[in-house]
Amino acid sequence: MSALPDTGSLRDAPRTAPLRRLLGAEVRWVLRRPRTLVILGLLALIPVLIAVGVTVAGRRAGPGRGLIGAVAGNGLVLPIVAVTVSLALLLPLAVAMAAADAIAGETACGTLRGLLLAPVSRLRLVGMKAFGVLVVAAAAVLVLAVVGMLAGLLVVGETGWQLVTLSGTTLGIGQALARIALVVVWAVGQLAAVGAVALAVSAWTEHPLVVLAAVLGGLIVFGVLGAIPTLEWLQPYLLTSGWSAAVDALRDPMPLTGMWDATWRALCYLAVGLSATIARMLRRDA
Amino acid sequence: MAVRRTARIAATIGIVGAVGLGLVAVAGGAYAQPQLPPVTPEDLVNSVLTHADPGPFNGTVELDNDLGLPALPQMPQAANGTSTARVWSGGNHLGRVALPTDTGERTLVSDGTTRWAWNSDDRTVVKRPAGAQADRAAPTDPAAAVAQAIAELRATSTVAVDGTATVAGRGAYELVLTPAPTERTLLREVRVAVDAEKRIPLRLTVLATGSSGPAVQVGFTALTFGPQDPALFTFTPPPGATVTDAPAKDPTTQHQDTTTVGDGWDTVKIMRRPAGTTTATAGPNTPDLSAIGTPVSGTWGSGRLITTAVGSAIVTDDGRIAAGAVPAPVLTDALSR
Repeated sequence: MSALPDTGSLRDAPRTAPLRRLLGAEVRWVLRRPRTLVILGLLALIPVLIAVGVTVAGRRAGPGRGLIGAVAGNGLVLPIVAVTVSLALLLPLAVAMAAADAIAGETACGTLRGLLLAPVSRLRLVGMKAFGVLVVAAAAVLVLAVVGMLAGLLVVGETGWQLVTLSGTTLGIGQALARIALVVVWAVGQLAAVGAVALAVSAWTEHPLVVLAAVLGGLIVFGVLGAIPTLEWLQPYLLTSGWSAAVDALRDPMPLTGMWDATWRALCYLAVGLSATIARMLRRDA
Repeated sequence: MAVRRTARIAATIGIVGAVGLGLVAVAGGAYAQPQLPPVTPEDLVNSVLTHADPGPFNGTVELDNDLGLPALPQMPQAANGTSTARVWSGGNHLGRVALPTDTGERTLVSDGTTRWAWNSDDRTVVKRPAGAQADRAAPTDPAAAVAQAIAELRATSTVAVDGTATVAGRGAYELVLTPAPTERTLLREVRVAVDAEKRIPLRLTVLATGSSGPAVQVGFTALTFGPQDPALFTFTPPPGATVTDAPAKDPTTQHQDTTTVGDGWDTVKIMRRPAGTTTATAGPNTPDLSAIGTPVSGTWGSGRLITTAVGSAIVTDDGRIAAGAVPAPVLTDALSR
C-alpha cells in the first residue's frame, strides 16, 4: 500500500454520493431527533383521547354530536376522524417543525454550510430535505391512523370489524381499510403541500421560529378568510378550504370531487413551494 | 450552466403551479353559451309538460338560498346559504337522496315498498310504507313539480326563451316566465333552464323584485343518465341504529281545509291547522314558527307575519296559515274574505 493516494481511482470514483445513502442519512437524522419522536408520540395520544372521551360520554348525547359522536360504537371511523381533526393544526405543526429544522435550523446552527460545500448538487440537497419532511408527514399520519384503528377496535369497537358510514350503510373490513388508506394518502398529499411552502420559508430565513410562525399564522389567516362570507370567491385558492373533504370517505357512495379538488390545489401549492425553495437554494452562498 | 438551467426549470414549475391554482379555482365556472337550434316558447313549454321519463340518473343538486329566513332547527336548508344534495333515481319509484352536512348526513331511500329516512346525527331510521304519501298533492319528483308550476303560471305570464345556458355540463334553453303586470306578486321573474335533449328542467331560478341576484336557485351541478347500481336503492339499518315506524298520518285531517284565493302568481293558500294541535304537538318535523315573524292584526284577526324575499305568510292566532308569493296586503285581503 503506497502512501500516496492512487489519483487515477480517485478520478474514477463517483463525484456525488448515491441518492439512497443521502435519503437514508436524512431520514435517520430526522427520525432520531427527540422533538420529532415527541410530537409523533403526542399525535398517537389524540385517537386514544378521542376513544376514551367517546366511551366515557357514552351514547347518551343527543343530536348534534358532530363528527366525533360518529365514533361511538363505530371504531373504524376513529382513524379517519382523528386524521380530520388533527389536519386542522397539529399535523401541519409537525410538518412545519420538520421543515423549520431542515434548512433554517441548519442555517442557525451553522451546519448548512457543510452541506452546501459537500459534493452534492443543490437540487439533490433540496430533494433530500424535502424527502425528510415528507417522511415526517407520512409517519405522523400513519401513527394517527394505526393508533386510531387499534384504539377504535379495542375501546369503542361495538360494531366490530364493520364500519357504519354517515350514509347509514355498513362496510366490511376490506372496504373500511381501503378508505382509511385513501384518507392517509390524501392527507399526506395535503401535508406535502404545507411542507413545501414551509421549506420555502425555511430556505429564505435563518430562524426556524419564523417558519413555524409563518405556517401556523398562514393556516389561521386562511381559516379566517375562509369564514368570511363576502370572500367566498377566495375559497378555491385557499389550501385549507378542502380539508374537510376527508369526511367524504365516511359517505357511501363516496363522493370523490372534494378530495380530488383538494389534491389539485395541494399539487399547485407543492409546485410553488418547491420552486421557491429551489430558487433560493441554487443562489445561496455557502 | 447546469445551475441556470435548473433555475429556469424550477421557475417554470413554480409558474405552472401558480397558474394551475388559478385554473383549479375557476374550473367549472363560466361556460360559453351553447349553440342550440331555436325554439319557440310555446314549443318549449309543451315539450316540458309532455316530456318523457328521463330514465335512471344520478346527480348533484345545489340549492342557493337567499330568502332571508332565520335558521330553523329542523330545516337547516331554510337559512341563507348553499346546501347540496346527491340524488340517484332508478325509475319505478326507486330513489336515493343524500343530504350531507359538514359532520353528518341524512339519507332518504325509497326501495319501492318502503321509504327509509336515516339521520347520522342520532343514528335513527324512520321507515314508512311507500305510497303513504301518494295521495298528497305535491309531486315528489322535482322535475314534475316544476312542470306543474309552469302549467299553472302559464296563463298569467309572459313566456319567453332567453338564450341558452350550460347547466351541469348540458346544453339548456333558458325559459323565462314574467308575471303579467296585473299580478300582485313579489316575484320579478322565474327562469327555468330546460335540458335541450331530454326536455326536463335542470335549474330553477327565482328572482324577486328589488334585488338583482336570485332569491332562490336550485339546480343540478352534475347529472349523468344511465343505469344505476341496484344496491343504491336498498337500505338495511346498520347495527346500533334505532328503527322507528313513522307515525301514521290520517289523510283526512291533513290539509283538508286548504283554500285557494286568487290564481296565477298572486295565489294565496289558506290552511287551517287541525283543531287541537299547537305547534308543539304538530309533529317533530314541523318547524316551530312562533319564534319568528312580527305581530300583525286587522279586521281578520291577529297573528304573526313572516316575510321573505319571495313570499309572505301570516300565521293567525286562530290557527290559520295564509301564504303566497305576494306582499302582506294581499294576504290580509285573502284572510278577510
